[in-house]
Amino acid sequence: MVEKEYQIIAKNYDLAGRASSDIKRTLKSINLCRSLMKRVCSASYEAEINVVIHSVGGYAIFYMDDEIIRLEFHDDGPGILDIEQAMQEGYSTATEIDHMNGFGAGMGLSNIKKSADVMNITSTYEGTDLILTFYRTGECRED
Amino acid sequence: MKLSDIIKKYDCKVYTPTLIKDKEVKYGFCSDLMSDALIILNSVKDPRILEESILITGLSTNQSIRTAEMLDVDVVILVRGKMPSLKVVDLAIESNVLLLSTEETMFNLSGKLYKDGIKGITYNEQW
Repeated sequence: MVEKEYQIIAKNYDLAGRASSDIKRTLKSINLCRSLMKRVCSASYEAEINVVIHSVGGYAIFYMDDEIIRLEFHDDGPGILDIEQAMQEGYSTATEIDHMNGFGAGMGLSNIKKSADVMNITSTYEGTDLILTFYRTGECRED
Repeated sequence: MKLSDIIKKYDCKVYTPTLIKDKEVKYGFCSDLMSDALIILNSVKDPRILEESILITGLSTNQSIRTAEMLDVDVVILVRGKMPSLKVVDLAIESNVLLLSTEETMFNLSGKLYKDGIKGITYNEQW
């Protein structure tokens, strides 16, 4: 079992992706099969960027055991007003600076949903909690 | 096409010379939007495709390096003569990503590479 926690700083594009890089290196070190590793890393990176772009800051927790990999992203607000709307491809409240950094086209949450096996998201003005679960059984056996 | 031939033909500046290697490039993907790179390259199931791929982008920030790292793509070509900052070069070295730059525009470089036989990656590309 592995559990790690990472701080995510709002609007800091230099450090954005640092947690996901570390998660990738952890997964690589245990030789996780590539297809699952890429799903986990892409979702993690998009979710981390979301916290950087949209929140006032937060943290991520990476958890892994023999059965599952779980990624949690928690931030301190201001929250997503309408999650259904935010899930629509192309809907975005990102700014020019976010676009200049290659993100903010409204693909984040829908991409995350495609990558994860289970996605749970709750949001109030006090913050957003995103929990992603990936099953280690199945696709990795085929590799 | 050999990576060294691409570097020579398109007069690429090599920002991470220690990472230069003799490898074959067969596939390419270009975007300034990293979400698109993530979802499309992530749909490729065969790792051999990404091993022989390059990411072409006008985005000269850390995020293009991070995106390449997440996808196991180890060559990034910046177009339009974009110059990365030192911290981007450092991150490229740390992430083992060969960082190149050319004066060509994204459309022109992609078109010329396509003519050279480099295939574009589409959603769920198969080997």
